[in-house]
Amino acid sequence: MKRPPLWMHVRVQNEKKDFGLWLPLFLLLPLALVVLIVLSPLILIALLVLWPSGWSEWALRVLGAAFPIFWSMRGLEVNVKDRQNVVYVSVV
Amino acid sequence: MTDTQKKVLEMLAQNKITAEEAYRLLNAINSGEGTSQATPGAESRPVPKPKYLRVTVHPNPDSPEAGKYDRVNVRIPLSLIRAGMKLTSLIPPPVYDKVNVAMKEKGIDFDLRSIKPEDLEDIIEALGDMQIDVEGGSGERVRVFAE
Repeated sequence: MKRPPLWMHVRVQNEKKDFGLWLPLFLLLPLALVVLIVLSPLILIALLVLWPSGWSEWALRVLGAAFPIFWSMRGLEVNVKDRQNVVYVSVV
Repeated sequence: MTDTQKKVLEMLAQNKITAEEAYRLLNAINSGEGTSQATPGAESRPVPKPKYLRVTVHPNPDSPEAGKYDRVNVRIPLSLIRAGMKLTSLIPPPVYDKVNVAMKEKGIDFDLRSIKPEDLEDIIEALGDMQIDVEGGSGERVRVFAE
């Protein structure tokens, strides 16, 4: 089974500073679940109101695609260096 | 003829890849076979499926302007590409047309709507045998490969 990403490591280095940050992505999922439950009545009303315009279907598709994208981010790595700065982003 | 070679020819027959891409893939497969035939004692190991797509941009060290360019190293999980393909269903039809026209202007006659998830699987599988290596005139080198 595929594991979800747990941490995001962001690091910015230059001559003046060396800044690193570990973001706990695993905390996002319970938080998102709580927000979803709290806002579910409003989301339902919005979906029903927007149904004739077709936007509800689009919003549901976005939600359906966003979750697998988040789940597949594990292993993503971006490293950009120029003469002065180094930016490194990694999802583990 | 191996299964991989058959798969490439099938993809060419189904217009999933161009003749040039098929030629390059077959060459890559043949050169791989040539290497394994050169060492008859070596056991044939199954080629592991690629997991990541790596894109690197490096300045050519021989170029006098090498210091001017940024270095980029991006590793994208192939599962993320697969998941991202689902987002293509969200693209409104007029945008597809605009993209297709823009690509045609650049010499790429390809309909974005023809990409299907099952085609993507074939392309990703074939990526394992392919490597794109482009050296720019101004001293940068771009490499795209699966690992």
